[in-house]
Amino acid sequence: MHTLALELQAIWRILLISLLLGAGLPALFALGIRALALTPEGSDSPASPGARVLGYTCFAVVVLVVLLGIALIVASGFGQKLEFSGGLPSFQPK
Amino acid sequence: MSRRNSGAVTTATVILLLVVVVALAFDFTNGFHDTANAMATSIATGALTPRTAVALSAVLNLIGAFLSVEVALTVTNAVVKIQDASGAPRPELLTDGGSGLLLIVLAGLIGGIVWNLLTWLLGLPSSSSHALFGGLIGATVVGLGFGGVNWNGDGSKIDGVVGKVMLPAVMAPLVAGLVAAVGTWLVYRIARGISGPDTNPGFRWGQIGSASLVSLAHGTNDAQKTMGVITLALIASGHWSDTENVPFWVKAVCAVAIALGTYLGGWRIIRTLGKGLVEIAPPQGMSAEGSSAAVILVSSHMGLALSTTHVATGSILGSGVGKPGAEVRWRVAGRMMAAWLITIPAAGLVGALMWVIGDLLGGGTLGAVTITLLLVVATVAMWLRSRREPVNPDNVNDEWDPQSEPGSSGDRSDSPASPTLA
Repeated sequence: MHTLALELQAIWRILLISLLLGAGLPALFALGIRALALTPEGSDSPASPGARVLGYTCFAVVVLVVLLGIALIVASGFGQKLEFSGGLPSFQPK
Repeated sequence: MSRRNSGAVTTATVILLLVVVVALAFDFTNGFHDTANAMATSIATGALTPRTAVALSAVLNLIGAFLSVEVALTVTNAVVKIQDASGAPRPELLTDGGSGLLLIVLAGLIGGIVWNLLTWLLGLPSSSSHALFGGLIGATVVGLGFGGVNWNGDGSKIDGVVGKVMLPAVMAPLVAGLVAAVGTWLVYRIARGISGPDTNPGFRWGQIGSASLVSLAHGTNDAQKTMGVITLALIASGHWSDTENVPFWVKAVCAVAIALGTYLGGWRIIRTLGKGLVEIAPPQGMSAEGSSAAVILVSSHMGLALSTTHVATGSILGSGVGKPGAEVRWRVAGRMMAAWLITIPAAGLVGALMWVIGDLLGGGTLGAVTITLLLVVATVAMWLRSRREPVNPDNVNDEWDPQSEPGSSGDRSDSPASPTLA
């Protein structure tokens, strides 16, 4: 059945990208929280500078992708498409 | 328009008014039916108080709806053949001043609303878009025959009832469930090193952020459908002719209707999604909403929009599967999936019945007014029935009693309130 084949093809791509974003970003966020929360065993000292850099980098990446998500919503509302050429997002008419 | 007979124009104008009012009523039910998709998890974990959650979701839906600058008028083309490719009504349906087409749309909307209200009464999340499509399909089958329904498109692309409604309904919860399960598992695996991941405030913020994204996306996606339907009715009755744009007042009233509906809350469904399926902790809530936001945005970007309801439910189930040791109430999930399976035929049956009644009464003003009054009667009856076992912001988070189905336990005053709620 042709429709089923087309459908599975589309669903497969949706699944892969969604896994990357929908599971990857929460995992990255969790990594950020863990980096900031981890303290050396038995001490009250705050996380080491390296861990803090890692933690805030994780959060920054998550926030950046969420902003792209908002851009996607706004773009589709204006009848635009978000295209990625050379890694940079740009708006194109649909 | 001048060639149309004036009696027919008056009839069409009266039916048009009914269509606009009933379409806004549908938009309102769409709002409260879907509040749970974004906010059930945040309410269940106490990341937001119930009232704050619905207010936030309502504002984001309002913003999202107003962001819909370019509205597709071809919303019904996925399932029925009453419009051409530009969104204009098919000319052969306008010979009677448009009232024939308007009666189909009115009956379809009523079918969608009745199904939305019934599933709300039972506390079952079900797709509002599918309810609308079901109603339209039913009204079209009796009004124009089976040939009036776009069952499978022309086979060259994903289209029609099978391609855009039935298959996605099966796929959406599977995809979202898998994504959320993997996400939840990873989050708990990574957070294992810290003490008490379930009480970490960071995950609450993650949860609120991801839920907000779902609300915003919902506003842009769902309010558009009503805007498209109302504009179609305006074109059919000769009150609008531009198929490229939607009148601003249509956008404004649709945006307000969906936001008000969202603010009302739909507590019965919030309770089922937040407490009935899985006991949700903030890391799970974050993973579930993150999965929902990703699947909704990716799928609509790729042109195969999946139902927010099916995605959100699948995500919450997945967050229960992915958390080590969590219990998933599959019986509740089974009830939901059964409701999804019968959404199209059930809403279709109501839509068809309404069209037949309207048609028997002459297909004009009398018929349209009568079926609208029937909708009012059904609405009041279901609302009164809901008052017997109310679910509201105060008891929405009570312990889930597996013996009683959604919202049917007796006195809740002695059950402990959720400690996370002020």
